[in-house]
Amino acid sequence: MKKHLWAILAALVILSMIAAQCATPTPEEPPATQAPEVEEPTEAPEAKEAEEAGEPVELVMWWWGEQEAPGAQEWLDETVELYQQENPNVTIETVLQSTDSLIPAFQSAMAAQEGPDIQYFWGGVWTLEFAWGGGVAPVDDLIPEEELAHYINNFERTYDGQIWGVPWYMSGNPFVYNKSLFEQAGLDPDKPIETWDELLEACDKLNAIGVTPISGGLKDGWFGGWLYSILSRQTHDSEKEYMKAAVGEASFTDPEFAEYWVRLNELKEAGCWNEDINSLDYQQGMDNFVQGQAAMIFGNDTFLAGWADTMGGWDDIGLMLVPKYGDGAMADQYVTTAQGLGITSWSEHKQEAADFLMFMHTPDRLKAWFEYTGVIPADDRLDPSAITQPQLQQVYEWDTTVPGPNMENFIPSMLDEQAAFAGAQLLFAGDKNPEELAQMTEDVAAKWRDQNPDAVENFRIWAE
Amino acid sequence: MRYKKYEPWLYLAPTLLALVLVFAYPVVRLVILSMQRRSKGEMIFVGLANYRSLFKDDVFLEAVGNNLYLLISVPIMVAVALILAIFLFERIKGWRFYQTTLFLPYLLPIVVVGLIFSYIFQLSGVLNEFLTLIGLERFALDWLGSTKLALPTVMFVVVWKEVGLGVVLFLARLMSVEEELFDAARIDGASWWEMQWYVTIPQLSTVIEFFTVISVITMLSWVFNYVYVMTAGGPGNSTMVTELYVYLQGFRYNQMNLAAATSVLILIVTIVLIFVQFRLREGEDGWEQI
Repeated sequence: MKKHLWAILAALVILSMIAAQCATPTPEEPPATQAPEVEEPTEAPEAKEAEEAGEPVELVMWWWGEQEAPGAQEWLDETVELYQQENPNVTIETVLQSTDSLIPAFQSAMAAQEGPDIQYFWGGVWTLEFAWGGGVAPVDDLIPEEELAHYINNFERTYDGQIWGVPWYMSGNPFVYNKSLFEQAGLDPDKPIETWDELLEACDKLNAIGVTPISGGLKDGWFGGWLYSILSRQTHDSEKEYMKAAVGEASFTDPEFAEYWVRLNELKEAGCWNEDINSLDYQQGMDNFVQGQAAMIFGNDTFLAGWADTMGGWDDIGLMLVPKYGDGAMADQYVTTAQGLGITSWSEHKQEAADFLMFMHTPDRLKAWFEYTGVIPADDRLDPSAITQPQLQQVYEWDTTVPGPNMENFIPSMLDEQAAFAGAQLLFAGDKNPEELAQMTEDVAAKWRDQNPDAVENFRIWAE
Repeated sequence: MRYKKYEPWLYLAPTLLALVLVFAYPVVRLVILSMQRRSKGEMIFVGLANYRSLFKDDVFLEAVGNNLYLLISVPIMVAVALILAIFLFERIKGWRFYQTTLFLPYLLPIVVVGLIFSYIFQLSGVLNEFLTLIGLERFALDWLGSTKLALPTVMFVVVWKEVGLGVVLFLARLMSVEEELFDAARIDGASWWEMQWYVTIPQLSTVIEFFTVISVITMLSWVFNYVYVMTAGGPGNSTMVTELYVYLQGFRYNQMNLAAATSVLILIVTIVLIFVQFRLREGEDGWEQI
């Protein structure tokens, strides 16, 4: 028995080693230092013939978004129906993914080079990693330039001179406050906090009346990434600085990077946060604010309409930019990203997929999107008069006048998770001080560089 | 009736083929992946480089350490299950109710258990509210938010859920033990403790071995769901376990090769444990052969 077991194991290992040695390079993998070559983006001859003949075309779309923009499902169903009416030969199947399955499912599809024609992607690195892996087709030749010019924030999907997707809707991070609680604490509800010192002062006043100043939940990690993106930017001029630090051309221990941990610690020491921040997940932290137990939250503008419903209207909801402590160019910006869609490299109907994506951006569909979800679409053709809530008008103004990149989209996901997520938790647990956390961030970056020479090269090109 | 030598293999062929396709191929692919790395867009053979990277990664080492820490719960689980099984076997009042109740956690989905205990163990959760209510507020701690307490808290939940299986296994075995053995011990004047020590435990030895090995495997490679739902590996990496590390490497960091290398290591440890279990079941003669 023992002999057999070991013999089988040994055979497996030897077989694997031989196979690994002999394994030919995977043909679909693109060169790392340049954008992967994918099929000619114009229609494949068969697809063109099929279209001309009105032959049936089936598109599959894997998407996400209902989770942060409730109403998206209804809008998408309606949009698909309208598109199919206009294009009777096209059938579109939409599959809503869960947050946890969105990326793994697509990774499996990419490995098999088989799956959806249209895939949902978050911005920046969340799109480009798949483009570098050969799973996404560029859209430059599928969508006319004058159409692309209307899309907001699509610089996130631009790499090496090509555009790797289409934005769908905006997702920004306003600093939201409860006007009633501000008033109770003796703060002016109509005058948003502007400076860091005013923020610390507001924390004192809110604590004095027994209200948690800012609510958050770090247990599931994500909020740590948000904080990093929202608070660390003020000493920087551009997202490129982060990318350069990631590839080793600067260090995360440099003062302009280390200051984030100092500022976060300042808020902690000033009693600005809920004590249970480490044992709550982000949703629970958010609930504290919506239930009126906390006065402020680093929120997401896609949630605002839902919060207004729960809070009995918009009257108590005030928005502000993050109070300033730094003098970098990004200190005055509104953190935002465009969630988007891409066309897969293996799709046999790239042009049809692109046509559908353009249909999603027609003025009628943009207006309907806003009506269904209360979320700003990533397109400057939305008629602003459709936005009647002053708070959402404010978001639209920020989106279109002072948009700034979401830093999580411009750093390696390992750095986000092992430094931003974990670091915030360790700070609030009292296990590490700001200096140690800056060093930890640099150590994670060094590890990422060591483990991912290819990705480092891609980031280097992207940072140029 | 005479058979040709190859005939049995012919009959076995479809099953063997299915086994090769279902089990062997993925394992071979996994081992191949673990020895490759992407370089300039191509997968190249890098030998054991990924394994060396793993052993340089502090997060991986912390994950391994946490898995080993969780092994502390194995003797606890075995002891608790044994004690409960003995009490139930003694037919204490309401034993049927207790039997069902004790097994119930094992039937519940881990995600449900994890979510419920997440709420219970929050800093502002039910447990701490109760402790405060009865004047024990100094024991109201941040069970999931502290790097020192999070892993023991997760371990408690794993024990709570998994111990039911041990109770059922032990009880099933006890019920098949011949009553004469206990009668004989009683006639010989054995005390309650002596009866457990000299009759019950020896009779249960094979089941105890089985449950111990199963529990060790659980703690080393089957705790992902608990950790993912309750702490997501945090705070920091204080509850990181190897399975979660595999998930993060593969699906968050896009480093399938490192995920594969970690999986191979987990697989090897699990195979060794299964092998140990086989040997244990083969009895003392088996041990001599090892």
